Amino acid sequence: MPVLAIDGVTKRFGPNAVLKDVSLALDAHEVRAVCGENGAGKSTLVKVITGLYAPDEGAVCVDGTPVVITSPQHAQELGIALVAQELSLAPALSVLDNIWLGNRKVPLLHRRQELRARARAALDKLGLNDLALDTPASALSIGRRQLVEIARMLTRDARVFILDEPTATLSDVEIERIFAALRALKAEGKSVIYITHRLGEVFEICDSVSVLRNGDLVGTRRTNEIDRGTLMQMMLGRSLGEMYPAWESSPGDPMLMVKDLHVPPLVRGFDLTAERGTVTCLAGQVGSGAITVLRALAGLTPGASGEASISGKPMRLRTVARAQAADVKFISEDRAGEGIFLRLTVGQNLIATKLKDHTAFGLLARRGLRATAASLAAAVGVDRKRLHSPADELSGGNQQKLAFGRWIGGDRPGVLLMNEPTRGVDVGARAEIYRLIRQFCDRGYCVVMASSDIEEVLGMADVVVSMYRGRQVARYRRGETDMQRILADITHPAAA
Amino acid sequence: MTFGNAVQRLFAPSARPFTIVVGTIIVLGLFDRGTGYFFSIGTVFSVMQLFATLGLVALGLGLSMLIREFDLSVSGMVGLAGCIAVLTGASNPWLGAALGVAAGLLGGLIQGLIMTRLNLSSVGVTLGGLLTMQGLTYVLTDNQTISYPKIAVPLGLNAPLAGLFSLRSVVALAVFAIAALAMRYTRLGRDVIATGSDRRASRIAGLNTDRVVISVFAASGGSSALAGVLLSYSLGAASPVALSDVLAPAAAAAIVGGVSVIGGRGSPMGIAAGVLTLCILSSGLSAIGVAPYVHDLVTGAILLVIAILDAPDLAQRITTWQFDRAERQRNALKGASS
Repeated sequence: MPVLAIDGVTKRFGPNAVLKDVSLALDAHEVRAVCGENGAGKSTLVKVITGLYAPDEGAVCVDGTPVVITSPQHAQELGIALVAQELSLAPALSVLDNIWLGNRKVPLLHRRQELRARARAALDKLGLNDLALDTPASALSIGRRQLVEIARMLTRDARVFILDEPTATLSDVEIERIFAALRALKAEGKSVIYITHRLGEVFEICDSVSVLRNGDLVGTRRTNEIDRGTLMQMMLGRSLGEMYPAWESSPGDPMLMVKDLHVPPLVRGFDLTAERGTVTCLAGQVGSGAITVLRALAGLTPGASGEASISGKPMRLRTVARAQAADVKFISEDRAGEGIFLRLTVGQNLIATKLKDHTAFGLLARRGLRATAASLAAAVGVDRKRLHSPADELSGGNQQKLAFGRWIGGDRPGVLLMNEPTRGVDVGARAEIYRLIRQFCDRGYCVVMASSDIEEVLGMADVVVSMYRGRQVARYRRGETDMQRILADITHPAAA
Repeated sequence: MTFGNAVQRLFAPSARPFTIVVGTIIVLGLFDRGTGYFFSIGTVFSVMQLFATLGLVALGLGLSMLIREFDLSVSGMVGLAGCIAVLTGASNPWLGAALGVAAGLLGGLIQGLIMTRLNLSSVGVTLGGLLTMQGLTYVLTDNQTISYPKIAVPLGLNAPLAGLFSLRSVVALAVFAIAALAMRYTRLGRDVIATGSDRRASRIAGLNTDRVVISVFAASGGSSALAGVLLSYSLGAASPVALSDVLAPAAAAAIVGGVSVIGGRGSPMGIAAGVLTLCILSSGLSAIGVAPYVHDLVTGAILLVIAILDAPDLAQRITTWQFDRAERQRNALKGASS
């Protein structure tokens, strides 16, 4: 008998069905991947299983008995544990308190040796032997926070573990630890639902894979019976063709010059030259400094120092206003926090940087703004009908397109800086975003992006700069390098 | 440990309230220069009397600030509970006290329910609560001062214990002790900090944050109501206009006490230290002969300094600024020599 079964579940929001008659059955000792593009219904499925949404039709069955899961607390009592896509650590609490936060079984007087010991064991399992239980969560890197969340899940004594894209912010070593923990869970007879955008992970860790597309269950397959191409085809409903746009690289004159950039404590003495009309990729893992460098160039880091110039004109660091005046545009790695205005509509997000162009006597010209919003939506490929929907209803991929749309237009091409532009973005939207990036190049922009996804780096870069612990390891032109080389550079460079 | 390190430790957020209270005593003591007006049992007693009222209000407000809300209704609660206690406790003071505190708990509970059920901000809801309670107090008292017939109650509440305390201030200290223990050693305390630190994250982790919010507002109402009850009983009278201006000092005390206005940081003991600082300033400045109308200026200046110390990346900004200045000077020198 399956441990957890989803039986003909349909969920509608207004007239839109986001899950249509989806059925899944999960056995003990099984790791099941759930794949699909953004908007395919994966998150909704998780929310139905964890009691945040009630299904309109169908039922969730635990051990063969249909149950109505009323709240996340109820799901916990039924033995379902979740690592959500959003970080869920309270920064002011210690690692220990965060691990037990929200656990229904913690007694009122919770300072107990037994709880400490169990938290310690969970952390050790994930290779965090050096992490003290009393460290405040705010002192941890994003990657470590994610691991603490997984430790929290391990302490929940659940039978079904759900992980919603747990590896997006992790380095390879950390990912390997999570996989080891999952294998251990599997050996103990637990079941795992593993939601991911990374197809490699599906074949590495999962026994079977269920694919969702537009709310329909396309099918469930054993991973040893299909290959990558078939899986992609199931997800997209068509074959992928070329993910990365083909183009002729035509490097122009150097546009962005950085000399001796210091961003304490990580980056010390970093130099960079990037040319007009090209994509330069800073390849590096979490903690490599790639993201830090671009944030500093965007004027976001108060402690940055060094020399930077745009087309020969010196640019002052440490202020966003100066950076923007020098035509430096930035797309943040933290989409929800810094990328877009979640509470505003799609249209308002698109015109956020255009208000000045449509102001007469201090008043906004609504008609012009509406037209601009519509044309920008068309340019980035967001449905015009959604202009009035709140941005937080969009998928990650569509939200990222809004962040791009904001920078389209203006008379002079500038420098476009991007951190992890496709983090949390599905395969289909990814291809569109790559095309958008190329369009910026064609308009004469100098694009610099930081990425930890090597496949993406190789697919997009005219110039690759590999980074490790705050400094450049090597610099390659397109075609001069391959996956193994970059991987070696960003994990254990020979010269380090 | 170097000197700089020691200073940094003394002004770390968790230690700062205690540093400030000790610093205040030392500074006032230096001004006093052994005249004995400041270092006297009388001053300590009057500080503790002030503490009894302001402390419980600041505790309630501070708890709401810990979860990143703001309970503006505390000052309304003080007046309302005081009047209820005097009106209903004429024959039995315990009954009056119980009803007064119950009104506070209920008021907080209702406001918490409105906020969580309708997903509203506390500022709007508790501002409504504040005005409603003040209005209710006027109606209940017919806009008159009502005297309390049992003269034994004020005498008993204010009688000095060991010269330094009164029953009133002992009750306030006991409430602080209970709050401190609950925050430090129980799951509830952890849940309050978690909710203030990141409410969305706490909810995803499985915490019922609505319940935490409602509990905190009930506790805040109950604590300020107790302050009102004790005050009316010790004055032997309730007036609708008494203590309507307790809100700003209570907020100041909570902030001096290390409660972060963005939530998730602070402790009852810190709040106690913040309240003590304000009370000592008020009594101590009077004792050394500073006119009362200057007190606000001193308190305000201290608050501003604390606000500045809390600036994000303050140390980094200072370093950068020094760096920039050095560079400008170098450039100026270069310009002069060439």
